[in-house]
Amino acid sequence: MRRILLSAWVAMVLGSGATIGSAQVLRLPPVRVPALPVGPRGMPPPPPSIDTLKADFVAKSGSDTVYFAGTGFGLDASAQATLTAQARWLLANPAARARIEGHADDRTPRDFALAIGERRANAVRDFLVLLGVPAAQLTTISWGKERPAVEGSTEMALALNRRAATVLMR
Amino acid sequence: MPSRSLNLWISLTAALLPAAAHAQSKAPTVIAVPQFATPQNVSTSAGYTGTIARSIADVVASDLRSSHEFVPLGPENARVYSYPEATAPSFSHWRSTGAKSLVTGFVQNRSDGRLTVACYLHDVAGGREIARKGFVVTPDEWRRAAHRCSDAVYARLAGRPGAFDTQIAYVSESGAKSVAVKRIAVMDGDSTSHRYVTAGEATVLTPRLAPGGQRLAYVSFAGGQPHVRLLDLDSKQDLPLLPGTAMSFAPRFSADGKRILFSMAIDGNTDVYVANADGSMVQRLTSTPGIDTSPCFSPDGSRVVFESDRSGAQQLYVMNADGSAVQRISFGMARYASPVWSPDGERIAFTRIAADGMRIGTISPTGIGEQVLTSGGKDEGPSWAASSRDLLFQRSDAAGRAALYVVSVDGGAPRLITTPQIGSDPDWSTAEAQ
Repeated sequence: MRRILLSAWVAMVLGSGATIGSAQVLRLPPVRVPALPVGPRGMPPPPPSIDTLKADFVAKSGSDTVYFAGTGFGLDASAQATLTAQARWLLANPAARARIEGHADDRTPRDFALAIGERRANAVRDFLVLLGVPAAQLTTISWGKERPAVEGSTEMALALNRRAATVLMR
Repeated sequence: MPSRSLNLWISLTAALLPAAAHAQSKAPTVIAVPQFATPQNVSTSAGYTGTIARSIADVVASDLRSSHEFVPLGPENARVYSYPEATAPSFSHWRSTGAKSLVTGFVQNRSDGRLTVACYLHDVAGGREIARKGFVVTPDEWRRAAHRCSDAVYARLAGRPGAFDTQIAYVSESGAKSVAVKRIAVMDGDSTSHRYVTAGEATVLTPRLAPGGQRLAYVSFAGGQPHVRLLDLDSKQDLPLLPGTAMSFAPRFSADGKRILFSMAIDGNTDVYVANADGSMVQRLTSTPGIDTSPCFSPDGSRVVFESDRSGAQQLYVMNADGSAVQRISFGMARYASPVWSPDGERIAFTRIAADGMRIGTISPTGIGEQVLTSGGKDEGPSWAASSRDLLFQRSDAAGRAALYVVSVDGGAPRLITTPQIGSDPDWSTAEAQ
């Protein structure tokens, strides 16, 4: 049910002339990875390191992280823009694997934090898949409130910890 | 004469019952706890029996004092009695001390190297024995025997199970919060015998002790996905509850230790499940979209309380143990989480989340009489004492550092339980199923 709604919504946004059109998503030119030095003695160059890939991913996507309000898991316009750029990069780098890590803030009891982290990670995964990223390229995990991005319990800290990060994996 | 004093005792008990809810106002009972006797002072692997006899009385006195319902006299400065007097005390002496009750006992070395620890409770005014317990333990387990003696005394005098021979499991945390090393630690209910039972390689959460405290269920991130594992504290066997890679969490045993409730999250939807305590016979109990988690059985195993956001915000619901007849029980202007049913079945403790933060409270299983007990602002995860009179919970300070606290169901200031490192997710074992 939720997937259908999300799907209808994505079609609506993409169809109404947002940053990218739905038909074009799959045809975007591959993003160029910075040229790498050739290995010693004419060996083929080593594959780009995970750090190089991560840096490129963040540079091209704007961010590897999207944020959520309250106990919600809805993706606002800003989150959708970030994820759309992430999808474009993932489509251009089909060998890359990403793990989507969902998190909750510190004002969420332990069990519910695990559940909501899972729900947020899945909301991001579903959105990327709807934009054409192969599901096999993506995994999800919930960290609950175990890995805060920011310590403390100010409203700002809470807001920065309610998040889902797309983490490139080896 | 004995029958009259018995009648008097019964009528006094009856008169005190309605006041049980205001236990704080009840005057504490003066109870003499002199040093235990030993028929022969012999050396054991845990020291001389005479020394153990003194230590046991120290522990019993300390246990009873910690309940705030008793004022123990001794063992310091109390009369030291001989072995035969353990069962035949000189009541005239104890009457002169003002004590209402008297605990005596002895420690005897057995031919197999173990100890017999005997414990007697006497009514001083009536001059008679009113309870007795005997335990055979290894010398190293003398403390356990002492706690069980305290439990017997408390149960007889307070009319509720004692919570002294219990285990507390919690998560011990070191290092910066974003990269914390978390280990499960277990200690006796009086904070002694502290030990770590997981190594700290994987993040671990929510240890939940089986009745009797010999096994625990917990959540581990070992291998990536959080999942429920079962750890036997004696054999050290540590296994996942379920095969496969599904995300499972929020485990909790039934009061008889035979079943285990937990949640599984699949594709953004979390439901409540039940299985046998070995992971067999998995059965799904909820099926609404949204998050259904933190399930806990009623003490008789017939019902389950859990939290759900099916109405929008998290609220508490009670259903039959087969998942039927779901009823919402919380309706306050807040979110409600982590419900736990009291061992006596009378109340459900919860974490309440509102604009003023997270607090611990209780409510009846039918949703009547909500009471908020703490004002910390970052209090969560209550766990009942076996007596149903106290709640152990986690309180975080402004910097997010957590510690363990105990609060009485009658309210009052929470008491800090000292742990070697940061402590969170506490769980207090209930009595072993009979």
